[in-house]
Amino acid sequence: MPKRKLDPLPSAAFQILLSLAGEDLHGYGIMRQVAEQTGGRMRLGPGTLYSSIQSLVEEKFIAEVDAREDAKLGHERRRYYRLTSAGRKLARAEADRLAGWLRVARAKKILRGDYV
Amino acid sequence: MSEKIYALLLRLYPSHFREAYGDAALQLFRDRAHDERGFFPKLRLWLDLLADLAISVPREYRHVRQAFAATSAPRRLAGAPWLFVLEDESLRPRALFFGGVLTLLALAGFSMAINHVGSYAANVAVWPGQPASRVSPARPRVAKPSHFESGWRSVLQRMGMFLPQARHPKPPERTAAMNSAAGEAMKLDAAERQLVIDGAIANLKAHYVDPNVAQKVAEALRAHQNNGDDNAAADGSAFADLLTRQMRDVSHDMHLMMVYSQEKIPDRRPEPTPEEFARYRKAMEQNNCTFETVKILPHNIGYLKLNSFPDPSVCQSGATTAMASLNQADAVIFDLRDNSGGEPKMVALIAAYLFDHPEYWFNPREETTRQSWTSSPVPGNKLADKPVFILTSSSTFSGAEQFSYDLKMLKRATLVGETTRGGAHAGAFHRIDDHFGMGIPETRAINPFSTVDWEGVGVEPDVKVKAADALQTAEKLAENKLRKK
Repeated sequence: MPKRKLDPLPSAAFQILLSLAGEDLHGYGIMRQVAEQTGGRMRLGPGTLYSSIQSLVEEKFIAEVDAREDAKLGHERRRYYRLTSAGRKLARAEADRLAGWLRVARAKKILRGDYV
Repeated sequence: MSEKIYALLLRLYPSHFREAYGDAALQLFRDRAHDERGFFPKLRLWLDLLADLAISVPREYRHVRQAFAATSAPRRLAGAPWLFVLEDESLRPRALFFGGVLTLLALAGFSMAINHVGSYAANVAVWPGQPASRVSPARPRVAKPSHFESGWRSVLQRMGMFLPQARHPKPPERTAAMNSAAGEAMKLDAAERQLVIDGAIANLKAHYVDPNVAQKVAEALRAHQNNGDDNAAADGSAFADLLTRQMRDVSHDMHLMMVYSQEKIPDRRPEPTPEEFARYRKAMEQNNCTFETVKILPHNIGYLKLNSFPDPSVCQSGATTAMASLNQADAVIFDLRDNSGGEPKMVALIAAYLFDHPEYWFNPREETTRQSWTSSPVPGNKLADKPVFILTSSSTFSGAEQFSYDLKMLKRATLVGETTRGGAHAGAFHRIDDHFGMGIPETRAINPFSTVDWEGVGVEPDVKVKAADALQTAEKLAENKLRKK
């Protein structure tokens, strides 16, 4: 497979990587986590979510782990995903890149204060 | 319900995606639907889903295509053709079945269309035309045209009245059927092939309507012969089909054909014997010349049910009497629902009553000559300006179609009923030897109305009703028309 959707890293994929930084999550868990960490601005639909997950799995930035039930959501077995070390590195590189832009923005006096 | 809708929408994704994540996507939908209740959250959920579909479906397909392009690039260099499909799952059996049925239907439709165009022989067989008088003695005929050109003979044939089989083998119903009907395949040798091709070329040059095309067809036949293309034809029927194809390839004339008959083709046009003629005359007298009904309907509407257009040499007085008895009518209904044609002369003779001046009378089978005008006005006739209605059915054929077509095109009659059967063209049949003969269209009549006549398509009625209801409808139309006057 050729390298495809992850260069440059789309924000959906970046958010998914971030959402998995704390714990393993299933698809719906990722969706809710992303919504939470973006203040409700990004609600991933199933198509976008799983197409991003597929790309990330293919490139080994995340890995599928054993399926299990989520006690809070009933007895259906769910597929869980975990951040790999490569994924963590990618997320960090992306965060650095964004941080670099922030510095530029600050230097240009667009962004004030020491926020971030 | 909404889950089913979403499951259907999921099918928009490429199969590899559905297989990998279809269930998970559906599960996610269930979870959201479970958590987001109430009108507005539901609405937001669906808006999210639709936006998501709009963005992610094209992206998935784009990805699939890019993947194909990437993997196919090195193969293309190899020079061999390479096909890719967007769907990588195998076809469902149902899809294969419907595909197969559809293909068969398309093939059947196509072959029917081809047969329809090539129905020359059928028309030769049933359309009587080609009166002997038209055959110019100056023309060098290799063989005289066969028996089934005579008009009244075919009328009798249709009535099942004569034709001893020994003298009159059945005319070819259709080339393919006829050619393949030869059970005991006739042995073909080079000499026979030479004779048939020579005969075909001589006939084409003598009779074909366009000498330039005749020359081209002749050259093509000769070229195929010299190339040895004809040697493959194992028997008479295959050879006839092959020559037919060769001639049509060049001329694009579907009425040009070579015919093989297993039965011996009579070596000359059998002139009607006095005995046969007497039988015809008797049959016509018994049937009132097929003028089945002549009467005056209420509101003084004349009604004539005519089941053929018989030979004027036998039935002229009958026709004159019938037309005379309608002379005082205020409108005329011609019932041609059971009329399968006959002599063009009779068609023109009756049509003459409907005009007060000579009118160009189009006959697709006759060269345009001075005789192509009706002999109007008919002395003492009062029908020239009366409304005319013609009842048609799907069995109205040949000469009856000419009557209907011409009067419709001249806006002289209102056609009521069904689309007619569609037989216009004929050509002469030319015998080459005992087993081979060919059909050649010899006329190019001027059609003043349209570039096409009713061959193969029939004549469309002005008022479409079932044949059974045609009389009632025509009567009403006639009444209305008379009331307005």
